[in-house]
Amino acid sequence: MPKKFLDPVVDQIYTLNLGPQHPSTHGVLRVLLDLDGEFIVRADPVIGYGHRGHEKMGENRLYKQFLPNTSRMDYLSGLLYNHGFVLAVEKLAGIEVPPRAQYIRVICSELNRISSHLLWFGTYVMDLGGFTPFLYAFDDREQVLDTLDHVTGSRLTYSYCRFGGVIQDIDSEFIGMARAFVSRLRSRWKDYHNLVTRNIIFIKRTKGVGVITPELARQYGVTGPNLRACGIPFDVRKMEPYEVYDRFDFEIPVGSSGDAYDRYMVRIEEMEQSCRIIEQALDQLPKGPFLAEKVPHRIKPPKGEVYFAFESARGLTAYYLVSDGSQYPYRCHIRVPSLGNLHVIEDVFRNTLVADAISILGSIDLVIPEIDR
Amino acid sequence: MLPEDAVTVDDDYRTGAAFAARVPLDLLRDAAERCSALGFYLETITGLDFQDTFELVYHFNVYEPKSRIALRVLCGHDETPPTVRDILRAAEWFEREVHEFFGIRFADNPDLRRLLLPEDADYYPLRKTFGVVNAYRKREEIYA
Repeated sequence: MPKKFLDPVVDQIYTLNLGPQHPSTHGVLRVLLDLDGEFIVRADPVIGYGHRGHEKMGENRLYKQFLPNTSRMDYLSGLLYNHGFVLAVEKLAGIEVPPRAQYIRVICSELNRISSHLLWFGTYVMDLGGFTPFLYAFDDREQVLDTLDHVTGSRLTYSYCRFGGVIQDIDSEFIGMARAFVSRLRSRWKDYHNLVTRNIIFIKRTKGVGVITPELARQYGVTGPNLRACGIPFDVRKMEPYEVYDRFDFEIPVGSSGDAYDRYMVRIEEMEQSCRIIEQALDQLPKGPFLAEKVPHRIKPPKGEVYFAFESARGLTAYYLVSDGSQYPYRCHIRVPSLGNLHVIEDVFRNTLVADAISILGSIDLVIPEIDR
Repeated sequence: MLPEDAVTVDDDYRTGAAFAARVPLDLLRDAAERCSALGFYLETITGLDFQDTFELVYHFNVYEPKSRIALRVLCGHDETPPTVRDILRAAEWFEREVHEFFGIRFADNPDLRRLLLPEDADYYPLRKTFGVVNAYRKREEIYA
């Protein structure tokens, strides 16, 4: 064999353009990868392809008119965003919410969190080449969507919450569906663990891959399951309890090494904790109105500001609203968790293989339209 | 480091931050360094546009209950605030975002490419002089 084929053909760094259209980027994300052979030297994420200007839209809409926008940022946990926005406005304007409405919101939010995690579970395993779990996860997720559809009227872009409550009361059929779903999901854990968690291919692709250290997480502002996977029990539902979360007994699952496997385990555990919250909320569900009376048609919060943080499926999300006393917000800033969660790959990708980069991107659970806003 | 009246304590957590500190531009880096040394992470940087000035709000948080703090920096329309990107890496993207939406240049920040807007955008959409605007107010009209 000629000698020239034994030596490296070229000795140079070359740039690979991953995305913006690529099945593993889960949205329109482009990452410029500088490669030394198959190893990544530098990663530069390019975002903004889905920028719609939600913050500007927030400034020239009534508070109520912005409600449909909220669920279109993170479209996988739209109800959580919707929920967070009404909480922020209620805090700013001092609107009281009846207890029943608070419980209904928590139940629906947690169902939405489970549906988001189930979709992530399915697509992540599919990124790694496993097609069967995807179908299982979507089958389960379908039950959540039907349950939420029954009461909210939509499957993805919910606009269910209103200032002072929710638009429609839940009925006994919804309660039956929610309880049936929780027991169904619990019966599936065994299948999931057998199919995925104990699968040697899955373990090899995730253990020790894409480690986010606590210091790295702090530098980039990583939150949510990605942060908890590196051993920090930080969950807004516990740290700044909003709504009625302080009345439920649930745990914050944490990992230890911060690798892709831990992120997977944290999310699986989190679904179980959400099931516990739903069950307790259904047990404690009080009677009464589901929407406060005497909420003004056009809300005019007093001058001032509020920074309201809540836990979405991907981490700490916050609405920062500044009111000048008029019926339009003066400023509506949205802190999204996926921004920091994506930014951290600049460091995490360094010295990993391109194949691992796909695994890491999937394990971080990005929703690009949320970053782009 | 700061005068007594620069700090507003919010015991009820009504604004979502345990306390807010008004920081002059030249002390911003010191304040950020101190926050970072105490284990805080940078949650977000928000720009606000008023008739008389810009305002930057830096929200820091630490992994403990109700411990968010806000650093508020007044920055005139022609002033350049210092960068904190070398103190906390998260600021890299936040500063790019503030720059593209408000046109605020951060001194010593070599990477102010557009983040969310098209790379050739020559407008600053969140300024109150762009597009549909309901009110353009002076700062004291809101924070009296």
